[in-house]
Amino acid sequence: MNRNTLTVRMLAAGAVLAAVGCRDAMGPTAAAPNAATGFTGLAQGVQAPDLATLARIIPGFGGFYLDAGVPTVYLLDPAIRGPAERALGAYAAARGVTPAQIRVLQARYHYRDLDRWFQRISDEAFSTPGVVYTDLDEAANRVAVGVEHGAAAASMRELAARLGIPAEALIVRETEPIHFLQTLRDKVRPVVGGVQIRFSNFLCSLSFNAVRARTSGFVTASHCSDKQGAVDGTLYYQPLNQVPDEFIGTEIADPSFFRNSQGCPHGRKCRRSDANFSQGASGVTFTLGGIAQTTGANNGSLDIAGSFTITGDAIGNATVGQTLDKVGRTTGWTEGHVTASCANVGVSGSNIELLCQDIVENTVQIVGAGDSGSPVFFIGGGSTVTLHGTLWGGNSSGTLLVYSPIANIEQELGSLTTH
Amino acid sequence: MRFSVGAAALAWCAAVVPARPVSARPPPDSLRLTLVAPESVRVGQPVPLVLRLTNVTDQPVGAHFLGRTIAFDIVIAREDGAVVWRRLAGTAVQGILQIKTLAPGETLELRDVWRQRTNAGSPVPPGTFVVRGLLPSDEPAPRRTPHVRLRIFP
Repeated sequence: MNRNTLTVRMLAAGAVLAAVGCRDAMGPTAAAPNAATGFTGLAQGVQAPDLATLARIIPGFGGFYLDAGVPTVYLLDPAIRGPAERALGAYAAARGVTPAQIRVLQARYHYRDLDRWFQRISDEAFSTPGVVYTDLDEAANRVAVGVEHGAAAASMRELAARLGIPAEALIVRETEPIHFLQTLRDKVRPVVGGVQIRFSNFLCSLSFNAVRARTSGFVTASHCSDKQGAVDGTLYYQPLNQVPDEFIGTEIADPSFFRNSQGCPHGRKCRRSDANFSQGASGVTFTLGGIAQTTGANNGSLDIAGSFTITGDAIGNATVGQTLDKVGRTTGWTEGHVTASCANVGVSGSNIELLCQDIVENTVQIVGAGDSGSPVFFIGGGSTVTLHGTLWGGNSSGTLLVYSPIANIEQELGSLTTH
Repeated sequence: MRFSVGAAALAWCAAVVPARPVSARPPPDSLRLTLVAPESVRVGQPVPLVLRLTNVTDQPVGAHFLGRTIAFDIVIAREDGAVVWRRLAGTAVQGILQIKTLAPGETLELRDVWRQRTNAGSPVPPGTFVVRGLLPSDEPAPRRTPHVRLRIFP
């Protein structure tokens, strides 16, 4: 899976960095971000002068920050600390620090130079793959660039040299990438299982990507199409808006119901799976075997925090007592225990009967409106899973879900490559 | 700290500051759900029950429903709370989510008839019952009507 397009995980450090980036980008405090970040308690009512002002009024100013709560200033000549004490005295006093207690460090570079270099490298750095952030690091009296890997680090050093930035003024740090936080209801590309899809005026969940008769596409619940049990060319969008940019595929396989045969009771119409297959739209990328993973099972989260990878398909029905999981746009990642294997299940309000389905239950809600189509799977270890089937329904309280086993789905749709 | 991050992180900023349009919900008091039931009936007489969902605002309101045909539940209990009949008991409902817009003042009506039988099929004896309607959506809890009392006379 492409980590840059499917949001996976924002580490704590990354979240802090991104939050700072948000404020800098949007708020009026952009010129004085320090005043808004670490200041707490008494100091909240007294803001430090912004850094540009400090650079103007303090000779040899190289930066200002809090070191374990102690106001700390870089000066090119630490002996000339009077202007710094005057500029920062009120702020220090509000923190219980006297002007004489303001810590002064030897600066190597003036803040104005650092700011100029920061601007230069920021203008060009992000065209290099693997660059995560640029920063005028006041605590280091340097310009800092965060990169994902060594190649980007080398590129940044070359860029700095080309821009006339002294090598010693640049710090390159390897860091985790900062990802776009997404939920199961957001646009997700490449497309993976478990995310929200739309057709007409209905929302469902995409089950899994597959290749059927050399056609790439995806499986969802058959009733998540304009007509269940008929190929009607249903158009699917991900996640919500029925616009070209969100179009992901067209239904091309949805077998008919059968009656009075193969165990279908009199007066009913039957299938062995509530599943259809859609051809993926050209230009849309799909990850074969990928299922969105949220932050945890049965915790209600819809935030995508990684991915499951299908490594095998279940054979036949599940075993009663077995733990199975699912991911869907309404209740997220949930799990329960198999309580019925190969049960014939009637669909409420219809004469539809689905033969040889499996049922999963829990004491908490594990299914909700919009979860139809969710992939059902067994977690074998880590994030690798065995695909068990496609969810299509549940009870009214959401503590019981019904799914069509993958074997039934392939019996009706034909052989599928799922991973 | 002067700080710049890549476009992806800035897009995240945009995503968390405004309300997320995908999950936008109507204000909780924009739709009113009520249950219409007779105050009393004779024993054995079919009991018509109607759930009414009304947009009480002067603006169109989008609502989410469970099912291609909107699924709704009705719970009939004795005064001591013991449930005698539940419309969706023991049924499997397709887990599809329907998006529907109600015009200003529009009322959606969902109807059923209770045959005065328990879910097990036994006739219900005369007495006083408490009736409530539930309308599931993709919210964790269904929308609920106020309780309505129903007396069944011999």
